[in-house]
Amino acid sequence: MAQNLTSIDIVKHFAGVTALSNGCLTANSGEVTALMGANGSGKSTLCKIITGVVAPDEGQLLLNGNLITVSSPVEALRSGIAAVYQELSLVPSLTIAQNIWLTREPMNGIFVKYREQRKMTQELLDLFSDTVHTSFSPDTLVSELPPDEKQIVEILKAISTNPGIMILDEATSSLDSRQVDRLFKLIDEWKKQDKAIIFISHRMSEVFRIADRITVLRNGQTVGDFESKKVKEKDLINLMVEKTKNRLEQKDTIISKQFKETVLKVTNLRTQLLQGINFSVKKGELLGIAGLQGQGQSDILHSIFGSIRFSGKIELDGKDHKFKHTSQSMAKGIALVPGDRAKEGLLMRLSILENIILPSWMKYGFPLNSGKAKKDAAKTSKSLKIIMAALNMPVSSLSGGNAQKVVLGKWLQRKPRVLLLNDPTKGVDVGTKKEFYSLLKELCATGTSILFFSSDDEELVGLCDRVLVMRDGKIRKELPKSELTLTNLISASVTSNEELSRATN
Amino acid sequence: MQRIRKFFKNKTFVFPVILFVVVILTNFALQYTNLGPEKFEKRYMFLLDNNIRGFLPLILLAIAQAIVLINGSIDLSIGNLMGVVAAFLVTQYTVDDSIGRFLQVFAMAIGIGVMAGALNGIFVSLVRIPPFITTYATSFVFSGIAMWILPRPGGNMPEIVTTFYRKTLPLGLPMGIWIILIIMLLWLMFKNTRFGAHMYAIGGNEKAAFTSGVSVIRHRISVHMIAGAIAAFAALALVLITGSSDSRIGGTMTLDSVVAVVLGGTPMSGGIGGAVGPIFGVMTLGFIRNIVGFANVDTWVQPLVDALIILLSLASPSFIKLIAKQVRK
Repeated sequence: MAQNLTSIDIVKHFAGVTALSNGCLTANSGEVTALMGANGSGKSTLCKIITGVVAPDEGQLLLNGNLITVSSPVEALRSGIAAVYQELSLVPSLTIAQNIWLTREPMNGIFVKYREQRKMTQELLDLFSDTVHTSFSPDTLVSELPPDEKQIVEILKAISTNPGIMILDEATSSLDSRQVDRLFKLIDEWKKQDKAIIFISHRMSEVFRIADRITVLRNGQTVGDFESKKVKEKDLINLMVEKTKNRLEQKDTIISKQFKETVLKVTNLRTQLLQGINFSVKKGELLGIAGLQGQGQSDILHSIFGSIRFSGKIELDGKDHKFKHTSQSMAKGIALVPGDRAKEGLLMRLSILENIILPSWMKYGFPLNSGKAKKDAAKTSKSLKIIMAALNMPVSSLSGGNAQKVVLGKWLQRKPRVLLLNDPTKGVDVGTKKEFYSLLKELCATGTSILFFSSDDEELVGLCDRVLVMRDGKIRKELPKSELTLTNLISASVTSNEELSRATN
Repeated sequence: MQRIRKFFKNKTFVFPVILFVVVILTNFALQYTNLGPEKFEKRYMFLLDNNIRGFLPLILLAIAQAIVLINGSIDLSIGNLMGVVAAFLVTQYTVDDSIGRFLQVFAMAIGIGVMAGALNGIFVSLVRIPPFITTYATSFVFSGIAMWILPRPGGNMPEIVTTFYRKTLPLGLPMGIWIILIIMLLWLMFKNTRFGAHMYAIGGNEKAAFTSGVSVIRHRISVHMIAGAIAAFAALALVLITGSSDSRIGGTMTLDSVVAVVLGGTPMSGGIGGAVGPIFGVMTLGFIRNIVGFANVDTWVQPLVDALIILLSLASPSFIKLIAKQVRK
């Protein structure tokens, strides 16, 4: 059966931020349509709208020429749209068989036919035979599976609904090359069965291997639609990068500064995500960490701060430190401004004052010298220009940008020598961002070293002295100030290793 | 060794069964020494019968609690709900105490249980008040209603029914054991329905279950309703022991039901477990209390001693795991 899905002018806002302003996408039967774009360009949002996970604010979805509304994932399934989600939709305490056939169990009267369900599951599992461990059987609990096999179960679950339109959102990100080969073989079969496939991947080489057409998104807008044979990788990257001038002024920092003293040195850092990281930060340097989301950037910061387990060496002023608890790293002058401020950064119900003095309350002795604490907090909030009614108002009364200033303020109160920033400008308005940038520059000028991870590539380019680009838990490229352009940065984060080494050689 | 380990994996009731065997052997050893061989031989079936009949109300409550916990919710009103139904059951025979009247009354009792369960379920899943709070609040509502129906301990049951329950020994085995076997059979069937499968899915990961198309709200209300119905059966088992009831009895049994479920190997986190574990959990709990009773400790330390033993039993699987980890290092 021929399938054709078109989305026209989809618009979606999240709490004042526009995620999609003009999302157009066409998927035809017997074709693989790749969806590409940089961080935050709206790929995942567009997919979620097509599969009914989020509702669009404006725009239309056409299935085979008919207007449809999908208000839930179940409804999408009924219209023959199945998705392999990036965030897994599996129940860990159930077996593989139970997960795949959940709500579609084979029934015998009121009883589930477990034997048949097992047989049907085995047939699906055979599609990926030889690429997985032997323990991969219908009765294996999903919680016991490694990430790649969970992803495969997720793919099989989508296959089992026999959809007309299949969406693969970063489905290959945790698979190894043999598993990817197998998946691509399956995709070729689906094409023969006239299914339409939407394929999202950051790996350029995969896109060119499998896609028939490529649609490019930038800042929530569809900016290009090509046949993959007729387009070059370089053109795609240029299209993904905004051509307008950088909003940040660069002129005063064009000259590379000279740094001498090494403050922090990291050697062979490994965690679950990180595969051996080496770098060092000099005194007064602003070092950026870039890359697509989830490549292990946060793990670097948390390892240095001592909030996750790791192996490897972290040296501070030439001395080996292995912080087991955040209090130890704090004592050495390290501070971490977390990414998710509501979860990790603030006590939302408590006052601004209490939040600001929280990490440094010891300084104010026992009993608490509340007069001095108040004075210091007032000074900090003034220097950060926090817009508030009073210091004793709860943090929940502040806007996003101002709340983030409180998080920063509470750590600046401790006068850190090394400041770790974990995507601090997410959901922060432009004005606050500007103040934030000048503050960071001031801090660097006074000798603070800053390690700055951001998902906003532009601000990294405009602000940092040097940027490390991460991919799959490794540093793939180091961009010094002289080579630091948005095109170079995005190209380094989406291009596969072989291509990268080819390009640099 | 590998095979043994594989067998024990994911069987949440293995440790509870071991604990149960230890406790029941100690229990009968003590009864044996207390009574002497001759008397014991004559009366052991009667003792077992008495014991199990005494445990049955809590067994039923624990099963109701288990399915609610597996579903990822909790019911702190279950004991008091049983109190309401029990109070209702013993106050309906002023004129007519025939079998027909009894069946009529019991059907109404189940209706009360189901409605009360629906009330809990609606507040928990539709109004979205956390189950811990909702059912804690409704527990006071139920306790008040029970006191209103039956202000003082008392009431009566039709004599035919109580005699039948106490004196019949089908195939020579006590009634209580038959009832437990029937419960196990029903559970096995229930678990294999689609409803049973979805119960585990919701408890394991509510969001994933929803994304896969399980109607979480409707399902959770139904689970609370089923728990209410089981509580009505528990009330019947309770009033049949003495033929009367006490409105205060339910309160303490709520937490006992949670302890029994956990003692039976079903964790409070949801998604895994079953009804067989809780049955052993209740019997273990009951026999522990028996043993402490035999041990001639002063009455006032009894709660302390049995609480310590329960705490130890609850903690021992984790202790074993910790030790095993250390040994492997």
